[in-house]
Amino acid sequence: MNLFEKIEPLLLNVQKPARYIGGEMGSIMKNPEDVKARFAFCFPDRYDVGMSNLGMKVLYSVINQRPEYWCERVFAPDEDFETLMRENQLPLYALESLEPIRDFDFIGFTLGYELCYTNILNMLDLAGVPVWQKDRGENISPIVCAGGSCACNPEPIADFIDLFFIGEGEEVDLEVMDLYVKMRDAGATRSAFLQAAAQIQGVYVPSLYDIQYNADGTIQSVTPKCGAPAVVKKRIIDNFDACPSPEEFVVPFAEIVHDRAVTEVLRGCLRGCRFCQAGFLYRPFREKMPETICKQSKKLIDNTGYDELSLCSLSTSDHSKIEEMMDGLLTFTENEHINLSLPSLRVDNFSTGLMNRLRRVRSSGLTFAPEAGTQRLRDVINKNVTEEELMRTCKIAFQGGQTSVKLYFMMGLPTETDDDIRGIIELAQRVVDMFYEMEQRPKGKPVQISCSVATFVPKPFTPFEFHPQDTREMIAHKQSVLEEAVRGHKRIRASWHFPDTSILEAVLAKGDRRLCKVIYDAWKSGCVFDAWSEYFRFDLWMQAMEANGLTVEFYANRERTYDEIFPWDHIDYFVDKSFLIRENEKAKRAETTQHCRLKCSACGVTKETGHPCFV
Amino acid sequence: MVPVRATFEKRRRAKYISHLDLMRCMQRAFRRAGVPIWFTEGFNPHAYLMFPLALSLGYESGCECMDFRIDGDMSMEEAMERLNRVLPPDLQLKKVAAPVLKHTEIAFAEYAVQLDCADETISSEKMRAAWDAFIAQPEIQVEKKTKRGMSQIDLKPQAQILDTQTVSNGIWLKLRMPAGTSVNVNPGLLMDAFVKYLEENGTGLHAGMLHAERLAILCADGSDFI
Repeated sequence: MNLFEKIEPLLLNVQKPARYIGGEMGSIMKNPEDVKARFAFCFPDRYDVGMSNLGMKVLYSVINQRPEYWCERVFAPDEDFETLMRENQLPLYALESLEPIRDFDFIGFTLGYELCYTNILNMLDLAGVPVWQKDRGENISPIVCAGGSCACNPEPIADFIDLFFIGEGEEVDLEVMDLYVKMRDAGATRSAFLQAAAQIQGVYVPSLYDIQYNADGTIQSVTPKCGAPAVVKKRIIDNFDACPSPEEFVVPFAEIVHDRAVTEVLRGCLRGCRFCQAGFLYRPFREKMPETICKQSKKLIDNTGYDELSLCSLSTSDHSKIEEMMDGLLTFTENEHINLSLPSLRVDNFSTGLMNRLRRVRSSGLTFAPEAGTQRLRDVINKNVTEEELMRTCKIAFQGGQTSVKLYFMMGLPTETDDDIRGIIELAQRVVDMFYEMEQRPKGKPVQISCSVATFVPKPFTPFEFHPQDTREMIAHKQSVLEEAVRGHKRIRASWHFPDTSILEAVLAKGDRRLCKVIYDAWKSGCVFDAWSEYFRFDLWMQAMEANGLTVEFYANRERTYDEIFPWDHIDYFVDKSFLIRENEKAKRAETTQHCRLKCSACGVTKETGHPCFV
Repeated sequence: MVPVRATFEKRRRAKYISHLDLMRCMQRAFRRAGVPIWFTEGFNPHAYLMFPLALSLGYESGCECMDFRIDGDMSMEEAMERLNRVLPPDLQLKKVAAPVLKHTEIAFAEYAVQLDCADETISSEKMRAAWDAFIAQPEIQVEKKTKRGMSQIDLKPQAQILDTQTVSNGIWLKLRMPAGTSVNVNPGLLMDAFVKYLEENGTGLHAGMLHAERLAILCADGSDFI
């Protein structure tokens, strides 16, 4: 059932209607008669955010490469359109076929951020699909699935989802679809399919696990049923260089957040910064060869028509052949009027050679993340960056004509004191001083250092997963210390956020299955788009917590012991808990760990991959 | 260097592409198609593309106009063929030719508009009668947003109603409005005024614009802009 006639009369009454009608260049159309299974790839946020997501582009292309499968895109409608959809009984539809997603075989959500969870419920509801997994009955379709970085702790949304994809989806998504088609055609029920799917590595079926709690609220046991594995191991693509990368993107008409061609240059990170979840989840470090990167980028530019190319990774300058790669890319981008941008550069290996290549790229200011203001605290978090390196990098940037530098920091890190907070401004001031001591400094424009200070959220699968988050009072105190410290520094600007969002993020990130009801109640009381400050209702979330007899303190502000069973302990990201404990102990002693290329720290990844990460 | 004036259509899904988005979409289409479009020479070289007359969001059209220059060895017919392969099916070039007239020659545009009775129990005849009374007024004053803020204009002398028909559940109009680089009057203004008229005169009728299409872009003498 194509909904075009029903959608059309509503579109001129909403903001940016191009977001709701599809038909973009590069969107893939197939005949529903010719496909065996249909996948609604849902991004639980607005079109302009979701369309910028590389993971979605990758999986859209992977699924659609199979002629018998059709993957389509779905985004959360904005408030104005949602109201009209509900008034006119227009169910949530996919942008390619304009058909209701409740009739699809799979409804898949990508989980990039904990604060998108209420949008998942809202989208299921708009689609006309029961939000609770148990209410979906034995009809095999639609299977509601989810994957992405937040799937590492699937428990807070476990009761809404039929199955989770753990780790990288390029292979496992298709394996699950293949199994589904086989079992559906043989007349299998939903539960029979889910039990069979749970046998595939990288698939977690939460309904097959019973959770028992201790009197103090911690987990007593997690018991698998129906042959489900006791531990679900993630999936990775071992030969990353040979991994198919999308040769085409859906190129939107409407403007989106990141409107450009993107090439993934490496996956994983070798640094081991102790606060960074991505740095542990995406191990091992794997890179693409410069030729592969150039070939894929050129193809993407030709196919999309974009005039901007961005390189994507957790740390682009850690690529072992970055200068070779840059030379290759610059050869064609300069000839074809393509802008090249490189986010994710590290300050400790930002060479003059790289700077010279970057100067050929139009740039709008440089951003670095020292993360902490003092060397002691940087050692605690294992951000292996010294002040000299930061100074040297800023100097190279200033020599290159830049006068504004943006520095990212966190507050609420383990062992942090007020001196560490003041250290942020002292560090920034030394960058300012260095600028004025330079003889060949850029003339005409004054130097400007912006310090953006975020509230630290301890995350699962990091050495700080044991660590309590600072309470709101502690954060408020530290923010006042920062405010005091920056006063009178004309060339430094400091910015920070109200911590409520980070508090909820910590609760949801480290939460257990009892939070499903909290998320449901919060959504029922009107919470959606929690990631957007204009919609965020912390009070409603706290009411939902209270109604369910749960507290923020239990989830976010409690030091967790090494022998506690965590809600995510039956999910295996190849990184051993014993390694995380070792790292946490080193953090307490402010000892650093060398990066993986210098010395293997035996995190546990190699016993799963079967080979060393570096040869 | 070959200057080209392309005529293209914008229908169904493509009618929701705003003018700004359309320009970006076309620039990308040239790159995808591998058509050697001429780039401006300056500090920030960009593909040279000119749209003499913007089309309102939600309007269909079979006569939109776009100028560019081919900077290389390619015929304009091949350029059109290549562009159509990479453009969505609802946004396709229909004709390419050397530009004859300057953009300033554009004086009028013709539109077809269909208004429907929001309430299905109201007959089309009643709507038609209300329209006839509305358009017979000595003047139709509306607020128009201009570069210098809001201004008051009288639509009565501007709008030429070429045809009015009663259709099922509404009325269908063909009209000619001033258009061009200096003066441009959107038929939506007249429709909004009619909707307001229905409310203010207690007719109990409600109208909504169901379909709008630009039919032609014309010069002062009524000939097609080419």
